[in-house]
Parts: sequence; C-alpha cells; structure tokens
Amino acid sequence: MEQFDAIVIGAGHNGLTAAAVLAGKGKKVLVLERSTSLGGMMATGMLNGVQLPRLAHLLYNLNPAVVRDLGLKLDAKPMPTVALSEDGRHVVMKGAEARFADGTAHPDAAAFATLYQRLVRFGTLLGQLAQAAPPDLSGSLSLAQAGELGALARLGLRLRLMGKAEMREFLRIVLSNAQDLILDELADGPLAGALAADAVRGAWAGPSAPGTVFSLIYRLAQGGGAALPAGGMVAVISAFAKAAEVRGATIRTGAAVQRIVIEGDRVTGVELADGTRVSAATVLSTAGAAQSMMLAGHESYDIEAVRRLRNFRTKGTAAKVNLVLSGAPEFNGLSREQASGRLLIAPSVRAVERAFNPVKYGEITQMPIIEAVVPTLTAPDASGKHVVSAVVQYVPYAPDGGWTGTARQIVIDQVVGALDRFAPGLAGMVTASELLTPGDIESETGAPGGHWHHGEMSFDQLMSVRPANGLAHYGFGPAGLYLAGAAAHPGGDVTGAPGRNAALKALKEMAA
Amino acid sequence: MKDTRHDLPPEHIPLGLIPTPFQPRLELLSRTKDWMNWAGYISPAVLDTMEFEYFAIRNQATLFDISPMHKYRISGPEALAMLNRLVTRDVRKLAPGRVAYVMWCDEDGMVIDDGTLFRLSETEFRLCCQEPQFSWLLDAAWGYDAQIEDESHNVAGLSLQGPTSASVLRGAGFEIDTLRPFDLAEVEPGLVISRTGFTGDLGYELWISPDRALALWDRLWDAGQIWGIRAIGYHALNMARIEAGFIAAGVEFQPIHHTLRLHRGRTPLELGFAWLVDFDKGHFNGRRALAAHAKRGPRSMIVKLDIGGFKPAADALIYHRKKREVGHVTSAMWSPTLKRNIALAEIRAPFGTDRTSDLWVEIYLNQEGVWQRRMARATVLSQPFFRNPRARATPPAAF
Amino acid sequence: MGRHDRYDAIIAGAGHNGLTTACYLAKAGLKVLVVEKNDWIGGAAVSRSLHPGWTYSNCSYVCSLLRREIVRDLELPRFGLQVIPYEGGATFTPDGDYFAYYSDHDALRREIARHEPRDVDAYERFSQTVMRQCRFIRPFLLRTAPDPVRMRPRDVSELAYLVRKVHGLGAREIGETLRFWTMSIGDFLDEHFENDLIKAHLAGSGIIGTGLGVYSPGSAYVLLHHYMGDVDGTIGAWGFARGGMGSISRALGLAFEEAGGTIVTGSGIDKFLTKGGKVTGVALENGDTYEAPVVASNMDVKRTFLEHTDRDDLPGDFLRAVERFKIRGSSGKLNIALDRMPEFPAAPAGAPFLRGDMHCSTSLAELERAYDDWKDGRWSQSPYFDMLIPSQIDPTIAPPGSHMMTVFVQYAPYDLEVDGVRDAANWTEERRRAFADCVLDKMSIACPDIKERVQHVEIRSPLEIENEVGLTEGNIFQGELTFDQLLFNRPVPGYADYRSPIRGLYLVGSSAHPGGGVMAAPGANAAREILIDLGRRSGLPAEAA
Repeated sequence: MEQFDAIVIGAGHNGLTAAAVLAGKGKKVLVLERSTSLGGMMATGMLNGVQLPRLAHLLYNLNPAVVRDLGLKLDAKPMPTVALSEDGRHVVMKGAEARFADGTAHPDAAAFATLYQRLVRFGTLLGQLAQAAPPDLSGSLSLAQAGELGALARLGLRLRLMGKAEMREFLRIVLSNAQDLILDELADGPLAGALAADAVRGAWAGPSAPGTVFSLIYRLAQGGGAALPAGGMVAVISAFAKAAEVRGATIRTGAAVQRIVIEGDRVTGVELADGTRVSAATVLSTAGAAQSMMLAGHESYDIEAVRRLRNFRTKGTAAKVNLVLSGAPEFNGLSREQASGRLLIAPSVRAVERAFNPVKYGEITQMPIIEAVVPTLTAPDASGKHVVSAVVQYVPYAPDGGWTGTARQIVIDQVVGALDRFAPGLAGMVTASELLTPGDIESETGAPGGHWHHGEMSFDQLMSVRPANGLAHYGFGPAGLYLAGAAAHPGGDVTGAPGRNAALKALKEMAA
Repeated sequence: MKDTRHDLPPEHIPLGLIPTPFQPRLELLSRTKDWMNWAGYISPAVLDTMEFEYFAIRNQATLFDISPMHKYRISGPEALAMLNRLVTRDVRKLAPGRVAYVMWCDEDGMVIDDGTLFRLSETEFRLCCQEPQFSWLLDAAWGYDAQIEDESHNVAGLSLQGPTSASVLRGAGFEIDTLRPFDLAEVEPGLVISRTGFTGDLGYELWISPDRALALWDRLWDAGQIWGIRAIGYHALNMARIEAGFIAAGVEFQPIHHTLRLHRGRTPLELGFAWLVDFDKGHFNGRRALAAHAKRGPRSMIVKLDIGGFKPAADALIYHRKKREVGHVTSAMWSPTLKRNIALAEIRAPFGTDRTSDLWVEIYLNQEGVWQRRMARATVLSQPFFRNPRARATPPAAF
Repeated sequence: MGRHDRYDAIIAGAGHNGLTTACYLAKAGLKVLVVEKNDWIGGAAVSRSLHPGWTYSNCSYVCSLLRREIVRDLELPRFGLQVIPYEGGATFTPDGDYFAYYSDHDALRREIARHEPRDVDAYERFSQTVMRQCRFIRPFLLRTAPDPVRMRPRDVSELAYLVRKVHGLGAREIGETLRFWTMSIGDFLDEHFENDLIKAHLAGSGIIGTGLGVYSPGSAYVLLHHYMGDVDGTIGAWGFARGGMGSISRALGLAFEEAGGTIVTGSGIDKFLTKGGKVTGVALENGDTYEAPVVASNMDVKRTFLEHTDRDDLPGDFLRAVERFKIRGSSGKLNIALDRMPEFPAAPAGAPFLRGDMHCSTSLAELERAYDDWKDGRWSQSPYFDMLIPSQIDPTIAPPGSHMMTVFVQYAPYDLEVDGVRDAANWTEERRRAFADCVLDKMSIACPDIKERVQHVEIRSPLEIENEVGLTEGNIFQGELTFDQLLFNRPVPGYADYRSPIRGLYLVGSSAHPGGGVMAAPGANAAREILIDLGRRSGLPAEAA
C-alpha cells in the first residue's frame, strides 16, 4: 500500500494551500481530486469553443499569510466596480472613491468614502482573526489556548487603538444588518444597492438580515478590491498547484475518495472509488462538513455532532450564467475600461431585499441581482468572441416544479434581458448560454447545496461554532482527521485561510 | 412540510392522568387511593400499607405495574451497530435471548439515562427506560439501517418479584426453570418473560400486549394466592431498590437532557459503573469525552453507606471530620430486612473514593414538634446491601 | 404654575418605567414629581373603558416580565396588583383542527404526539435550551450593562460578573449560547421540530413587537425576551393582571403617592430645561414649569432628545446616533367587546387553551410572508395575531356573560405604502377599518361567529399607538431588540448607563437596557443610577462598584 504522511482530499485552493504548507514542512503529501481538473470552484470552463470562468471569476480576499507562505506571485488587475443605473447615471467605484461614469461627482461620494474606509479598516482588523484557529470556548486557560485567546486579545487591543469612537461603532454594527448601515449613510440607489449586493453575495439572506454587515466586512478583509487575474482563474489555481508541487506534494486528479479509513478512533488512510487504499495517519478534507463526516463514517461521530452537521445550513442561492457573444457588448454610458470592470445590477438596497423574498419559498425571483464580468474585454479571445460571466442571485436550489428546461431558460432570459437594457443589442449577440444552478454547482464541485461558502456565513455558523459547536478547531472527530475547506473557520471566498490554518493545526499535532 | 389536513373533526387528547391496562385491577385493590403520576399514567404510590407491601417483596411475591416505562423497539440489519454507538457497553456481547443493563451518554460523557436492553433476536432489540428517548433514538439511528418504534403505549409490563415469584409462574403454567438471571424467553406467543427486576431479589418482568394484560394479571393473581401474592405501590418497590443498591434517574443522577445546570450531569464512572464502559469496542457516544474524564478522575462518586444510629438519613449532608461538607445522601432508609441504617450518597472526590474514613452524616429529626440535629458515623461499603443466593439460583427454588 | 415649582426630581411620563423610577426615588426620600401628557397614567400599561361596561388593556395585555424584585420592593400587591397565570394556548388551522399548548405537561406531550410523535421529546430539548438561556440572562436584567470601551471601575466589575457567568456555562454551552443569540427563530425551530404547525405556534414569540421575520437572525433572542419572565417563579409563564394591565400602573401610582410623590396629568413635556450642560427642570406644553436638578425621561430616546431637548445641548455624534436608533412600528391591536363567548368549533368543550393565547398562523412560511408584506409597506395580508379573552378569568373587565378580547396583530407598518408613497398619514379611517376586517376575517378560522359577537372594536394602527402613548412609530419596545441596540449598545453606545450628555437628565424607559415589555427593569435600573449619583442607595442589585 502506498504510504504518505498526509492526504488532502480535494484540489481546490484550500486543499492545495494545505498541501503546500504541509509539504513545505517536509511532509510527504498526496492531494486527491475527484474531478479531472484542479481548482474546484475556480476551474475553467468551455462554452461553444470559448474558454471562460466556469464559476468563480474574480479574485479578492486572498489571505496575505497564504500568499506569503506559498510564495504566490499573481498578476491580477484591480478593476473598478460599476453600479448600473436604469437612468444611465452609472456609478463607478474604485476603492473608496465613487463617481458617476461620466466623471461627475456623486452626491453621496463623501459619505460612501467614509463608510467604505471604515468597513475596510474593520475588515483588516477581522482579517487577523482569519489567520488563526477561532477562539477556544473551554474555560480553562491552558497554555495551548493562550495563542488563540491571544489573537482575540490582540484584536481587542487593535480595536482599542482605533479610538473609542471607532471601537464603539465596531461593537454596534458588527452584528447588525447591511440595509440599516448603508441607508443610514447613503440614499437608496445603485451605489447603496452595490454595497448591499456585496454584503449578501452567495448568502441565504437579504440585506435587512442582521449579520450581513459582518459578511460585508469579511469580504473587505483584504482591502476589498476585486481583481481580474491575468490568464483567468486558472492561472491562480495553477499558481496554488505549483506551490504545492515545488514543495514535493503529489497531486492526483480523477481520484475520488470513497471513504476515510478509521481504525480505533484514528485515521489510517483513505479508500478510493476503485477500492485502492492509500495509507496516511493524517487526512485533511476540503469537502463540505457533512460530506467529510460521511466520508469518515457517521458512526465515528457523536450523535450531537451528527445532528449539528446535518443542521449546518448550506442553502445555495447564487447561480452562474455564462454567455458567449458574437461580438463585443456596448454598454450605454460606459467607457471600454469601465465596461471591463465588475458590473453590478442591484438598483437599490430594497431591490436586493425584494429579490431575496421569493427564494425563501422556492420561487424564482423576477428581478435578479447580477454581478457580471466581460473578461474578454480585458483579455480578448482569439476567436474574437466575447463572454459574459454572471453571478445571479437569488436562485433557489430546488424551485417548485423543479429545474425544467423552461425554468432554466427563464433565468437565462432574465440575465440576458437585464444586460440588454444596459447594452442594447447584447441579446441578439448571444450564441451560446449556460446556467449552473446551485444544484449543478453542488454536483460539479461538491459544494453542499451549491453554497459558495460551503455553508451560510451567518454569525451562528462562524468562528468558534463553524461548522459546529465542538468541531470548530479543524480537528474533525477521529484523531488525525481535519476539516480544511470553506466549511471551517474563517469560511468561504478564495482566501486559502482554512486550508492553511488546518494544515498548521495538523502539523502541530503530528509533531506532538 | 407535513400536511396537517384532517377530513374528520380532530380527535382530542385526554387531559389528566390516564389508566394503564392494569388499572381496573389496581383500582379495586387500592385502599389508600394514593396515586402517583408516572409518565402521565395513574400509578399506585401505596395500595394498602407500605410496610406489608415491602415485606411481600422480600418474603412472598409481588406485582407491580411497570407499563408506564418507556419501551422502544429497535430493529433492522444495523440495529446492533446503532445500539453499540449509543450505549457504553459492547452490545455485540449480548446474545439473543439475553438482557443487559445499559447506560448511554451525551457527547460530554454525561449520563442521559440507564435502562435494560433486551436482545429479542439477531436484529431486534427492546430498550426499556425511565426517561422518554424517542427523538434521541431517532437521532442516534440517523444513517443506520435501523428502525425505531415507540412501543411505550403498545406493551404492558408487569413486574413479579419476590422469593415465591418462580412458584407463582410455575403455578400459572409457565416454563421458566431454565431462565437464568438476565435471560428472556417468549414463553407463549406474544408474552415475553425476562428474569429481571428492580429489587435485587428473585423476580421476573412480563411483557404483553395491552388487550391481554388483564387476563395475564388474573392468571398470576389466581396462581399466586397460595404463594402470598400481593400488589404493591412505588414506595415499597423503592425500598427494595435502595436495599439492592440500584441507582435511580433523577435521584442518584440527573438525566443530562433534563438538567439546566449542565455541570450537574454525571459520567458512568462517577456513578460507580466503570465496568459498563468499554473504551475498546470502537466509537460510542461520549467516548472521547469519557476517556478524558477517566484520565482526570471522577469529580464525585455515588457510594453505599452504612450509617450509625437508627434514624434514616434522608436528604442529609455529609461531612468529613464533622467539619467539611463533602456530599449529600441521595436515598436513605432503615432496612427492615438487613436491620441496618443504609443510604446511597454522592460524595465529592477524593472523599468517598480515596478517603473514606471519618465521614459523618448530619441528620435532622423532628420528634413531636422539636427538631434535633444528630451527627452519625457513615461507613462506605463496597458490596450491595442486600444479597441473597436465591436471587441467582437456576432453576429457582420454590421460596 | 403647579402646586410646587421645585422638586428633587421630575419624571417625564407616567408609564410603568417612569412610575417605577419615581417610586424608588420617592422611597429614598426625594421629593418627586411625575408629569404625564395624558389625563391618565400608565403609558402602554393601561386599562381604559371605551365602551360602557368593558375595560380594555388597550396596549400591553399580558404580564410576565415585570421583575419580582420590583414588585416586592414597591409592595405592589398592597396597592391592588394581582397577576393570575393563564393556561396554555392554541393555533387553529383552516381545516378545523388545532394545536393546543397545555400547561399540563403530560397533556402537552400527548397533543404534540397527536401531530408528530417525533416532536414530543424535541419539544423537551427546545424548552431546556430556552430555559438554560433564561437562567443565564435573568440576572442581567436588573444590572447596568458595562461599557466595554470606557472601562471605569464599575464597568470592569460588571464585565467581570458577565465573564464569570459566561465561564460558568462551560465550553459547550457557551457555543450554544453564541448560536442562540445570533440565530433566527425559524432556523432554531427547524433544528428541533418536524411539524410546521407546532413550529408556527412557537415562532410567534420570536417576532412579536419587532421588525424582524421568523428567518431573521436575532429573532431567537426575541423569543427569549418573551420567555425570560415568570409568574411566581414559573419561568416563561404569562398571566393577566386583574383589572387589566392598568392595574400595574395604578398600583405603581398609589405606591408612589403613598411615598409622598406628586403626579400631574394632562400636559406633556414641551422642553427639558438646561443651563450650562446641566438639566434644571421641565417646561410643560400648558406653560407650567418645574425645576429640579434631576429629570428622568420615560419617553423613548428619539422623542426625548430629538423633540424635547435643545439640540445645541447635545454633541453631534450623540444626536446622529439617536437619529439612527431603530424604532420601527410593526404591530397593531384590536380591542373587542363581545356580547358573549364566541364559538370555537374545533375546541372540545371546556378546553383550557381557550383561556390562553390563540393564533391562526399555521406555518413558518406564512409568518415569513407576513413579514415580507410589512417590508414592502403593507399590513400583512395574512397576519399573525395573538388573541386572548381575559374576561374568562378576570370577572372585572366585562359585564357578566360578556367578554373582552384583546388581539395583538403583526405586522402593520407605521409608514403605510399607498401608490408608492410610504407615509403614516396613509392610515385613514377607511384603511384602519380595512386592516381590522383583514384581521377579523382571519380570526374566523378559529371562531366563525366572531363578527356577530363584536359590540365594539378599538382599532389601533401603529399611528394611534404613537399618538396616544407617545411611542415613536408605535414600537412597543421603544426600539428594536437587535444586537446593535442591546446591552451596552442600548440606546446609544457610551450612554447605556441611563445617563445622557446633559448632566442630571436620565433615560428611564424601554429605550434603555434591558429593553421593552412591562418589565420595569429600565425604570428600576435608572433609579439605582440616579441614586448612586446622589450618593444614596436604592437597595437594588449591582449597586456597588
């Protein structure tokens, strides 16, 4: 039987990060990926002969500790965010700066800048917490926990150093809802709507839900700017893979793990779908929380833990629509540079909230919230064709009546129709289209419920209780098993942080 | 989403206490009309006189209605695996036709409840316990090919205890001579007899469908006349229970699912049941927490006490060297059979475990309106108070 | 001018919190004046007769949260206060069935089993979790929330108290507590129960009085807010005040007057008078002025500082914080005089649950849709309501054989949207009637003859509640109970200790910690702080640093 020090299940960015960290410490590491390509949600797709980002299309929030530890060198172009407006007065945001697309001043520019900068400051602060295991809740102040509590104490101190007023503001808003926060400062409209949409991207929540401010802050943890990586997301994932491989990790694709082998409450290896076994005393799983539990066998978990993992909410609401266009879309009122930015259709905070309502009842929203990118405006495709990559919210996992062809076409038509209002003629240029519903995303990437973060990022599922009370410290039931994906602290987005933190935890216990 | 539609007007549930299948007989036998609430059922506290009912347990044969016990049928190809993950013992060692005393814990190793597990066949089990467990068993069965059925209301139970109980059964025409302690047998279609009980004496429990309950009662009652059979209430049974040194849920330990202050939960180790915990059988609920507990040692221990003087030490506090409070009595009585003043008690470690000398019990007694405080010496015992070879003899003697 | 022009302390508003503060101050020997805009006292804890022979609890209608420490300190039973626990409740379904909540535990188990056997023990788990949270939170109700930023000695000691209490929970329970306080009541119930009707019955407590839906995070805390009270030590129980909720205010008023206090009704506050950053008294709308070095406002934080205080006396960020304080009208009320007991065809004869709280919302989705309506500026097309007929227990509030019914309705917006315009002025008489009809129509699920029984109905939209009681937007809690407005954030970060930027001016209403409900805790806590500032003692918990 083949033998490794550690096996990582899943070659998404978290799995590859974990592998790189472990291999960097001289461990013999094997990464097993069930798909034939790397990257999980960052994988590249092909539609009508044109390459496009199948799911994730932009880079932000990558954890600097991960970049440092893996020595990642990414060429990514920061891009403006454009909030499209029905009246043609589109708003262009570059960091904290907001102005109309024609260059004139936005009346809320000052208020926006203050709010945005504050959120980025808070985000940077919380980003510290993402770089370590969440605080341990057990009462005894053992030496082992001193580090984790230290992180919390340092957070408190940094908070304090921001000044009393900022500390009060942080403590007031951290658990509150994005709608109030935004509308307390800005008039409702595309600018406010853009912030609200960012607060709820991928979430089973509208901006009026308490906790959405935290999601917004989390998204802004690394400064907030979205970037289009040169060479697409595939270049990013290749960089992760290379970091793992140069450190000596072995990556195998098309290798689905059927179960994690447990003997005497200890991990001893994995069994692949074809029955072969690979032995290792340490296994890190980047699958969803409940999926990882099932791989190890539910009987290895306490009944309460199984119940909590079953209750871990993973209701995906974001779908992906990819379009191939015969030519370049022309957006009214946008320069080519602006049009190649991150385009948001989120007319107002209220509109975002209203778009959320139907999904609660398994219905398809009439007016979806859209984040669209036309990557071919930045990096043209050889064919001369263009692609639109759009994240669409809110789309139910299982609509009443199921995902019939008609239901799918409705969503695609909504997206095409919405874009066509701003780029007249776009509808006529569509030569191919595809919709990936949350269910499709689940079956393709394994993300439970098609949830982008492997589980709702609401406060009752974060930090010391993510993914479940008692399982929040990467150690995942039997000795030697770790949860290293987005279901673990700090959660989703292309951060690499769960993978890195889990690997560090595993290394510590391997040394013990 | 469950459809709650009804075509007919709703069937209203009964309010107040409801009768067990044996209530018609108990009603006639009750002179005291002293009823208790046992899981919503009418249950006798005393039927006639507690002392006489108690002596019937130790001298003749007694009938106690245990129908209100919670009973669950666990069946299916993975019933065994499911139960082995639930309880702390290794259920694989329980052969069909055998009964085992079991405990089960929450994830922190705190006892949820104790009970008796009947292995009816390779794939069928029955769990009898004091606390309702249906939702817990359903959660425990998630992922297993095992079905849980709540048969609490579908199985009537009757406990026949006392030195002449085997004779009563023989007289009623049942073949029970080969039944060893903790054996069970379906002696007639639909009637299961197990050699189990809560008295520490010779005794049996009989399980039957409710519609045949009264006929069974009458059959035993008739056969028992020459063997001094007597129906009893809870208080007499509780005396026998304390003499046998058996712990009771809600008395010696607080079932953790009904405990608001979670630190009041207790591990099996702290209840004196380390022998029930099999750390080597694979994972079971609370195993990791219990292993950590075992390393740290118990916080307290349930012990048996022999107490000086003649006054029962109910609700008493326990002191070391008459000074330091180290625990409390959970159950206490003057034992009419042993002629000793006995008690079960919870004592904080290291007292009761490593340091068992110089323990004192503070007894308050009221004599005709005047309260007195007495300190009585307490000795920790390692053996049950009441032991009698007749309880284990197979085949059992006539009396 | 009034009888006296100078007092030791003046309380603006005779709600139950204002009267509570007044009682504690008067008992401590201060000369205290209470001024009230209405001709009666009680604020939202009132009993009024609007139809001859009937007494309505016009606003608040049941009692549980009123702190027993306060009832005992102020000897309220001696002044006529009697709280009688009520039995159970029910949710009726359109197809003629019901789910009944029985106070008899065994009956409750049978009733749950009738609907869903799997939910019987699940209910025990649910109630244990809630009871554990109640045990945890109750000691904090009569303490002042520590300021984690300023960290004065008293903040440090209160924070230490909090840390001790949290530590005492143990690791597992701390995790469960973190979850409970931040999750939605819908998710919490979904984690416990299978049956939608049972979930719907229990969910009401998570939304009553708030601008949250059953799936809004934080609504589990709102449920706790409704469970943490007690009747004679039975945590979570609710009762009727004999004679209506006004008898609480009446008892407080009598206790206050016996302690030497003075109440002046019929004219509200025009302005809080200040000099050099200190309060000097109050000017009333009728032109009277009274002086006092201590003034306590029972009005909500917005009304107190935005309408009756000179803005120049307040720092800009304080004003800003008050302006953004969320105090949303979300509920309405019908008070009904019935000629006799309505028929409840689904209920068995003599059913005890008819004497409890009754509802007609049968699923979480139905409740959530009711919330969606409100977000869009409409009253819920299929509203949630909490209806009771206290006259079955209390013989004093309706003619013999007749009955009084109180119906709390959720959701009703303050700014009603009509033709795309949201404005409270849209609550015309016609729309008020339409709102009432919508509620009465749905009530006929439970009692089909309800409309024939109605002799008189008082319809209260959020606008009426605001106009009469003075609660901004008619919000019954004087401010949303979300985390950004709880504990040290309530009502304004840095001012959670009942004090304000103006020396001598205190906030004693439900805008302050621990929030709304007929609890009297804000009033008592504020009294403690006032007396500390005066170097006197109140006898309340957490007095010393």
